[in-house]
Amino acid sequence: MIEQPFWNPILETLPREKIRQLQLRKFKQIFKWAYNHSKFHKLLYVNAGIKPEDIRSFDDIRKIPTVEKSMMRDIQGKEPFPYGDALCVPLEEVTVFRQTSGTTGQPVYQPDTWQDWEWWMECWSTILWAQGYRPMDKVFIPFGYNIFVAFWAGHYAAEKIGCEVIPGGVLDTKARILKIQELRATAMMGTPTYILGMAETARMKMNLDPAHLTINKITCAGECGASIPSTKRRLEDAWGAKVYDHAGATEIGAWSFECLEQPGGMHVNEALFLVEIADMETGEIIEEPGRQGRMIITALDRQAQPCVRFDSKDVIEWSKEACPCGRTSRLIKGGVVGRADDITKVKGVLLAPSAIEEVVRAVDGLGDEYEVIVDKVGDADRIQLKVEVLPEAQNRCRLIEATLSDQLRLKTNLRYDIEICGCETLPRYEVKAKRFKDLRKKEK
Amino acid sequence: MQPQLDLEQINSRVQLLKRTAEELNQLGENFPALTRNMVRIMASIKMLEINITDVFALRARD
Repeated sequence: MIEQPFWNPILETLPREKIRQLQLRKFKQIFKWAYNHSKFHKLLYVNAGIKPEDIRSFDDIRKIPTVEKSMMRDIQGKEPFPYGDALCVPLEEVTVFRQTSGTTGQPVYQPDTWQDWEWWMECWSTILWAQGYRPMDKVFIPFGYNIFVAFWAGHYAAEKIGCEVIPGGVLDTKARILKIQELRATAMMGTPTYILGMAETARMKMNLDPAHLTINKITCAGECGASIPSTKRRLEDAWGAKVYDHAGATEIGAWSFECLEQPGGMHVNEALFLVEIADMETGEIIEEPGRQGRMIITALDRQAQPCVRFDSKDVIEWSKEACPCGRTSRLIKGGVVGRADDITKVKGVLLAPSAIEEVVRAVDGLGDEYEVIVDKVGDADRIQLKVEVLPEAQNRCRLIEATLSDQLRLKTNLRYDIEICGCETLPRYEVKAKRFKDLRKKEK
Repeated sequence: MQPQLDLEQINSRVQLLKRTAEELNQLGENFPALTRNMVRIMASIKMLEINITDVFALRARD
């Protein structure tokens, strides 16, 4: 029998016009569901003068107001407690609580029914199958199973696929590495920051080369890193494994993934999500490739707390290329490029933190960690960049600094005050890293 | 590389499964070991509908 590359060979290869028909039909259903079951959504739509029967085309969808995270924060804590009136099912049908990580403010609560949880697993099953996970895999999950959704659904999806799943819960980093070695795990999931940190621990503190372990594929999430070519290269070199990106969020679902082809972008799972890209300034919906904008997303099947035209603030752009893997879903070029919140003007120039990471991780002799601090000296913006030099490159500090400075100017059109630090002096992170600090906001 | 699948057949079995699950659920009042398992089974059936019935409905319209 020929190996089946698709989790759902029908949905994943649907002709484009069929995908669009499916999306429109499912959007109408989820909009009607939210309108009829959530007071929050109904009020939003009544105020905009939109009823379910008004939705006949994608142009009609664009007239529907978006939902922002701040709106979800405002309703939570109210009745039905603690979710507020966006809840579409009786409280007794909620089986799972999760909350957002709070990276951008007060965490948002997320209720899910068992059906929603099955749906989460379905999203992740599509991802893992596309990345080559099969029943023979032993999947190690170095994640502190907690209130964040993170890799919970990845865990259950791997089980559903038939993999053997090893939960690396409360173990420390060294114990996790030893468990991978002991059980000969073949796959792993984590944030790029933590996966790089594990490799560093193995090398520096255990005298062990992670590339000699049995991990052959790693699924990353939570940060842009695995789609940044230089970071991906570092991850793959460190572990001797293929590294695949995926994007998801607590209030959205796991909506995008890189496939085995690693096509320089991620597939949008368009059977389960409707992704729109809105121009950052005008809000106009961008259809053509090559223009970055903010993602507006709808989870087409999520029940308890629907996600309808949610303004995720993820910055993405459509790719003009189709993927050679045969999936007909659209690709977003280079994955999630950043967050609209993080892209900031420095010295009048738009700066995305991911652009700095791409340069730092491409410079030979630098460690994986870095820190960026933007502040003001008098009226002028200043960018300080702290990097670590590896022990074997200590005698090349000047050359490294010059290379870094040149590459940064080329890539970001900005000048940086570079501080070369010793190895292991910058903060380490277990989950999502906070390497970019804009102190100008606090100074105002 | 789409396999030759009889979507109509598959979908009709999914619908049969759904009807059976709904009937079982109604029979199981005050029988937690039945009803709570049915919640899970019906959630799985919903995933089959997302994977199969929704596409079948699309094709059936042509």
